[in-house]
Amino acid sequence: MAAQLLLNGLVTGLLLALPALALTLIFGILKFANFAVGSMLTLGAYAGYVGNVVLGWPLAAAAALAAATGALACLLSDALVFERLRERGSITLLVASMGVSLVIENICRFTFGNAALSFDIAPARPIRWQGIRINHEQIVTAAAVVVILILLHILLTASPLGRAMRAVADNPALAAVRGIERRTVARITWALTGAVLGGAGVLAGLDRAIDPLMGWNYQIPIFAAAILGGLGSPVGAVAGALMIGVAEEMSALILPTNYRQVVSFAVILVLLLFRTNGLFGAKAVRK
Amino acid sequence: MMSYLVTIVIFVSIAGLVGLALNLQWGLAGLVNFGVSGFVALGAYMVALTAPHLGWLAATLTAALLCAAVSMALSLLTIRLEENYLAIVTIGFAEIVRILLLNESWLTGGALGIADIPRPFASLTPAGWGDGIILVFALVLVALVYGLMEGLVRSPFGRVLRAVRDDATVAAALGKPVLALRVRAFAVGGAVMGLAGALHAFFMTYIDPSQFTPIITAYAFMAVIAGGRGSNLGLLLGAGSIMLLLEATRFLKDLVPSIDGTQLSAMRLALIGIGIILLLILRPQGLVAEPRRTVRDVFPDATGES
Repeated sequence: MAAQLLLNGLVTGLLLALPALALTLIFGILKFANFAVGSMLTLGAYAGYVGNVVLGWPLAAAAALAAATGALACLLSDALVFERLRERGSITLLVASMGVSLVIENICRFTFGNAALSFDIAPARPIRWQGIRINHEQIVTAAAVVVILILLHILLTASPLGRAMRAVADNPALAAVRGIERRTVARITWALTGAVLGGAGVLAGLDRAIDPLMGWNYQIPIFAAAILGGLGSPVGAVAGALMIGVAEEMSALILPTNYRQVVSFAVILVLLLFRTNGLFGAKAVRK
Repeated sequence: MMSYLVTIVIFVSIAGLVGLALNLQWGLAGLVNFGVSGFVALGAYMVALTAPHLGWLAATLTAALLCAAVSMALSLLTIRLEENYLAIVTIGFAEIVRILLLNESWLTGGALGIADIPRPFASLTPAGWGDGIILVFALVLVALVYGLMEGLVRSPFGRVLRAVRDDATVAAALGKPVLALRVRAFAVGGAVMGLAGALHAFFMTYIDPSQFTPIITAYAFMAVIAGGRGSNLGLLLGAGSIMLLLEATRFLKDLVPSIDGTQLSAMRLALIGIGIILLLILRPQGLVAEPRRTVRDVFPDATGES
């Protein structure tokens, strides 16, 4: 039982890792908590649904479509909203991101309705190993996330783009002096995180039904993971996501499953009480 | 038609109360509260549970006190951190309230909710008056809270809060207790949200968790942004005009019959989102800009720049 929950928790954690990473990257470069991550997941899931069910593509192609949609949506929201409000401080951006979230979620609701949808994939018998059930969806999710994380890690640490992103996150003025334009880097970051969120949305749609609120339901665990990792730290976000995933699933041993979300919230509260910088943390205390 | 109008006025009153509260927390003190719906729900359920035993006045006060206490606890946890943390903790709080309301059915009736909440002055209402008394109750409540908020804005407390919002470091350097001020502002706002919840419960006489969705929060933000952050008069105007606009979309259904109910509600929500964004970009000061007081208001002869 416990081993099964640990496995489920690790997969859930991997699933959370992508959006948590996206949240933290945007926070690093633009210094605001983007409350639209959840709705971007939803959008990605519906884009995947269009590719997979409406157009009849294989799931991988649908995921690519979702990633492209996510990237486009993020670029658009940056160009139409966030870029115009950049000078107004993080609170305004925060509230604006809530507005963006409402718009995206309800475009999905308007188009597809409230009914729960799912992808068109052949049901497969779960693999049994040492008394543990492993679903095909879990294998697909774990493999996809690990590959994406490795690619992103290489991109962030070893490429000129990654260096530029870290430079802007660290000190935009100094980066500008060295000829790194914040705007360009911000746009690339938006496209990257949008693609990651879109892809993650498809994985989330594999895990549970696709409905307009699915992203919203991931919101608190995503933020818990990013805060646990210290907002702004990519490695921290992934580690935080794994911990949150395991904590949520393992909580089934002592709590009714309805209270899973409470775990993430409790983690946030405890962290804010005792370790305000997250586990890997950047500075958070204000004046 | 008459009862429809009364209903709208009461809904505007509830939204106005919530907006006034958020205007204190966010507009005046700069504290983002994304958990508005949670506080309103808490107030409503407190009233629903206590009103049959304690009477309406004590129940209303209990609801306000409980919400104030919870706001204080949440703000104490997060207020020394960046804005982002308060925002996420309040969102989490609203979700937890929703989950608790749904699952602790021994207390809250779960998804079925609580029915037969006694209204204030119910025995005084002449037959055929319908919602008349509750309408008066709502208007008096809004007037009281509006008076209280205007008093706060003009008081030294309000001035200090604006100073803290605009530059906490300067305020702290001048010896102002920044943390205590923020906590107090957040608690007062929470209490008013509790009052709004109480009014909601009294009017509906039946509450269930589905009435307290994040839409209340979005709507309150829209009202504060539209009315002008920090301006209470603007806020009431904002809350009223948005409600009218949204109510007007009801009639879209008659014009465009192909739209179903889900699509209509989705459209309204998307409109709120678009409204928030457009107002933030195009008219950040809102309908009625926050009154800026200068040295000249106090010392008409002063010559220096304020």
